[in-house]
Amino acid sequence: MGKKKDKALNESESTIDMKPMIHENAQFFDKLVELIPARFYLPDEKDKPWFQGLSKAEKASAKKQSRENIKKARRDRLDPEKSTKTTLDLLKENLEKEKSNMDSDGEEKEIEVRPIMSDLDGGEERSVTYEELRGSLRSKIEELRGSRNIPSSDKGKKRKNERNDKKGNLQKKQKSDGVVEEKKIDSINDEHNVEKDIVEEAANKLIFSRVKLGDNEDKREDSKKESTKSELLAKHSWKSAMDRAAGIKVHDNPKLLKQSIQKEKKRHQKNAEKWHERVETMKKLKAEKQQKRSENIADKIHQKKMLRIAKREKKLLRPGFEGRKGST
Amino acid sequence: MARFRNRKNKVFVKPIVKKNQQQQPNVDHITGNKIPKSFVFSRGKLPGPIRQLQMDLRKLMLPYTALNLKEKKRNNLKDFLNVAGPMGVTHFLILSKTETSPVLRVAKTPQGPTLTFKIQEYSLAVDIAQSQLRPRCPQDLFKNPPLIVLSGFAAGDEHLKLTTTVFKNIFPDIDINTVKLSSCQRIVCLNYNKDTKFIDFRHYSIRLQPVGVSRRIRKFVQNHQVPDLRNLQDVSDFVTKAGYGSESEADEEAATVTLTSDLSRVNRASTKSAVKLQEIGPRMTLQLTKIEGGLCSGEVMFSEYGNGGNKKKPDSEEDGDNDDEMKDSDEDNEGEDSEEDIGESEEDEED
Repeated sequence: MGKKKDKALNESESTIDMKPMIHENAQFFDKLVELIPARFYLPDEKDKPWFQGLSKAEKASAKKQSRENIKKARRDRLDPEKSTKTTLDLLKENLEKEKSNMDSDGEEKEIEVRPIMSDLDGGEERSVTYEELRGSLRSKIEELRGSRNIPSSDKGKKRKNERNDKKGNLQKKQKSDGVVEEKKIDSINDEHNVEKDIVEEAANKLIFSRVKLGDNEDKREDSKKESTKSELLAKHSWKSAMDRAAGIKVHDNPKLLKQSIQKEKKRHQKNAEKWHERVETMKKLKAEKQQKRSENIADKIHQKKMLRIAKREKKLLRPGFEGRKGST
Repeated sequence: MARFRNRKNKVFVKPIVKKNQQQQPNVDHITGNKIPKSFVFSRGKLPGPIRQLQMDLRKLMLPYTALNLKEKKRNNLKDFLNVAGPMGVTHFLILSKTETSPVLRVAKTPQGPTLTFKIQEYSLAVDIAQSQLRPRCPQDLFKNPPLIVLSGFAAGDEHLKLTTTVFKNIFPDIDINTVKLSSCQRIVCLNYNKDTKFIDFRHYSIRLQPVGVSRRIRKFVQNHQVPDLRNLQDVSDFVTKAGYGSESEADEEAATVTLTSDLSRVNRASTKSAVKLQEIGPRMTLQLTKIEGGLCSGEVMFSEYGNGGNKKKPDSEEDGDNDDEMKDSDEDNEGEDSEEDIGESEEDEED
């Protein structure tokens, strides 16, 4: 189809050299097209026979009709009197039909079609419209690109920031956590203060059941180091008692610690033993299997040999030929 | 065509598993910490009232305690320790008797500190109930653990701090975000008197009453009993008559709270309710006499009477190992002869 248009356009041009060449090419293509039956080359406009939705009687009649149509078409094809429409003719008809349709739609379609096909830019009108179109296209693309870029650029920036300031962010986070915790402690203290005011016993602060809040209350700050050994010991004993009372396990007792270390050692030993055993058994099994296999193979070979010998002997056991070859 | 049996009509019956034994959770699924469980038992033969006191203490520690714990005479502390491990028991409350007074020891298993209290005075729960006009014991009073309030302990020494820690951890944690108001029904109050150094131990039940409603209407709504309208001309008289308020209604301002959720039909959310405490359970006056580093053994870290050396007790086989990791440096009384305090001699008889 496109080639037809091309040909039409080019015939109007004044280039003499191209013409016969193009003409030859066009003829070649036409001949090719003629070879193809119209049924396959051109789009089928007729409805395909639809047999499924019909009843039995309707289906039968439709099939009958289609068979008759086929017969008729065949007869017409081979009839020299009737004029046959070659594929080419049908193609031309189709093109003309389409052209008329396109003309009715308007100029735009024509203009769209032409720049794609023709290498040659025609008159000024065409080029202006073409450039206009190009410009509008460019502007549209830029618009879309602009709207697309806003979120993606942010993501890119975020990723960069993360990569660069990873460590810095961690530090900042820790700091912020600390600040939050302080704030929480302050708020709790404030609550306590408020309760104090309400309660008449201002001197004695009330202590309540262990309440789960956000932060860990068991942080202890023991920074000062006492000088005397006894004070240290006393402090340690009080600290461990407080921790134990609060539910924290204090591993104080050297005896028990020794015991647990020994337990761990023994467990480790046992595991090692088990592993050794396992390795040994695996080796044994493997060796056994391999031995068995080799035995079986040797056996087979032996059997084969025996068979051969037996065969040979059998041959020599013919009546009248007993005895060995060499013996007289 | 073969007819297939319609399998879709089969009803799937879920097998019903009856949970006869309810196992108590070991870890509180709300706070994530271990739930403290306790054993309350006695050492040595005790007279009747003290056995009652032991029962009262057991009820107090419900639900996370062994209510029907049976101990034999030949059971040692070691036996209890061995059983406590697998069962997840964290505290022991041991009652015993000396010549002067009964003694209560609060200890944390397995190696924790032991606080020894001398019970100066005590009242049983039965006595308290008899003394009240309307004793109150709703059905599920002991289904939830009690709250605890300690007062007067704050500005104290190490031993007081340790006492607060131990008592705070005897009862499970409370998560203020997820706790249900209906589950806080009991409260244990401990008050420390600086002058006498006595600790008052009280146990109350919490009751919420709506405030701002006239007495008649409140009673009517709570009891569902038809009121006596004989003397009234009109129902409006019943509703609007200004009845006299009871004594306790006067001091409501201090004890009112605004509920965050509906507690019952009467106590609605965001209305004021008065918190009323009614005493149940034993009442004790305790005096902290000794703090030991181990479980009824170990180094004596605090002693009321000044001498706290490691004394050889006559029946020391019944107790756990005597872990003498640290020698006493401050108190160097090792012989029994040197002490003259009456209090010390009683402490020797403890098991």
